[in-house]
Amino acid sequence: MDVAIVGLGMHPFGRTPTMSGLEQGAAAVREALADAGTDFKRMEFAFGGSQDSGNADSLVNLLGLTGLQFTNVANGCATGGSSLNAAYSAIKSGQYDVGLVVGFDKHDRGAFNPQPADWGLDDWYGETGLMLTTQYFGMKIQRYMHDHGISRETLLRVAEKAFRNGSLTPTAWRQTALSWEEIDNAPMVSEPLNKYMFCSPAEGGCALIVCRADIAHEFHPRPVYLKTAVVRSRNYGSFEVFSPAQPPEVADSPTVTASQAAFELAGVGPEDIDVAQLQDTEVGAEIMHMAENGFCDHGEQEQWLADGVTEIGGRLPVNTDGGCLANGEPVGASGLRQVHEICVQLRGDGGARQVPNEPKVGYTHVYGAPGISGVNILAR
Amino acid sequence: MVPADLGSEGTLWTWTIQSFMPKTPYHTDETPETFTPYGVGYVELACGLKVESRLRENTPEQLTIGMPMKMEMITVRKDEEGTELLTFQFCAAEEQH
Repeated sequence: MDVAIVGLGMHPFGRTPTMSGLEQGAAAVREALADAGTDFKRMEFAFGGSQDSGNADSLVNLLGLTGLQFTNVANGCATGGSSLNAAYSAIKSGQYDVGLVVGFDKHDRGAFNPQPADWGLDDWYGETGLMLTTQYFGMKIQRYMHDHGISRETLLRVAEKAFRNGSLTPTAWRQTALSWEEIDNAPMVSEPLNKYMFCSPAEGGCALIVCRADIAHEFHPRPVYLKTAVVRSRNYGSFEVFSPAQPPEVADSPTVTASQAAFELAGVGPEDIDVAQLQDTEVGAEIMHMAENGFCDHGEQEQWLADGVTEIGGRLPVNTDGGCLANGEPVGASGLRQVHEICVQLRGDGGARQVPNEPKVGYTHVYGAPGISGVNILAR
Repeated sequence: MVPADLGSEGTLWTWTIQSFMPKTPYHTDETPETFTPYGVGYVELACGLKVESRLRENTPEQLTIGMPMKMEMITVRKDEEGTELLTFQFCAAEEQH
């Protein structure tokens, strides 16, 4: 049984001081239910999660005590991807007909504040100043630029595109396009990445209604089919955040293994993808993920960005809603935002940011600490 | 587990610079006013293992992938009894011009 997405809901990303993270999740669910023309009583199951805003299953207090199976998912940045993966399996197996996937979060301002013990590390690692994700991102793209001839201009182009696309997206947090000079002159955070090259923790909620493909039209006239949902963890030797040492041989990241598995399971290749969402925690991530997901060779990004290949009107539009850079990253909701945006694009509802020529196949990729990656392939 | 001597020299595999004072769990005797930016990098040892480390060099001009590095010990802070707490860091193995 194929799996369809028939309801989309989002509480705008950014800052909403008057609402808790849980309330933003509930708002997203209500919108998704309305979009699918159904109600919470019809939901047979739910998978959901948040990192900092409490238990997803307490949403039943706000949405209805219907007795449905509600499973909380806690998988870091891949929480949304893992939730959707679980829902996919629940329907694919024949266990359920229709259900809900939801993610939400509300983070404090500024960088995350991880503790060494939570990562199996000793206190010295944090006390001496190595427990910062921003350092890892700076070091990974620094090495990549060296190995594959990526210039600083290409970093700037990715940031410029993100905020330009964000300015076309009503639910985005950053809705103001930034000039080349503004990005170029922003304060340095962690060489070679400056303030406008990083996404920030934020708030928001996102929800999807999923069902058996054969009943999809009961809910929505333009269902989007989830061809595959894959999550992979890291292999020995992949270069990941918070690693006091790195083995001699650097292995492929989990993005490579997740992507390859997803293409194989969906029976399509990178050349078939019309629109993509690639994890852009910072600009370097988007650049590296273009190649790690198989869309181009390592180093080819330099030319792709110069030629505008990943712009909304380009051959492979990437992060048409501005990605994490323009939307911020409420961890529990971020991976689902990617799927939401691809569904919007495949329905043709993208408005000012709509990809031309009626895209048919879309792709989402989420990546997070400590080396997990989720890929979804969607088609209408 | 068997102890292995990894030596104390290598080459710089990648680097960045910590330009602002980290929040906790960072714990030194510095204040935001006295904070000095520090480099962070991975140093590739002769056996191929890469070790993450603070770097003495803290400007882009001083740091290049592939440059020879050597280890040194530095004081992180003094504890309540006044004992110096040490850690390792790497620095350029050759005088820079």
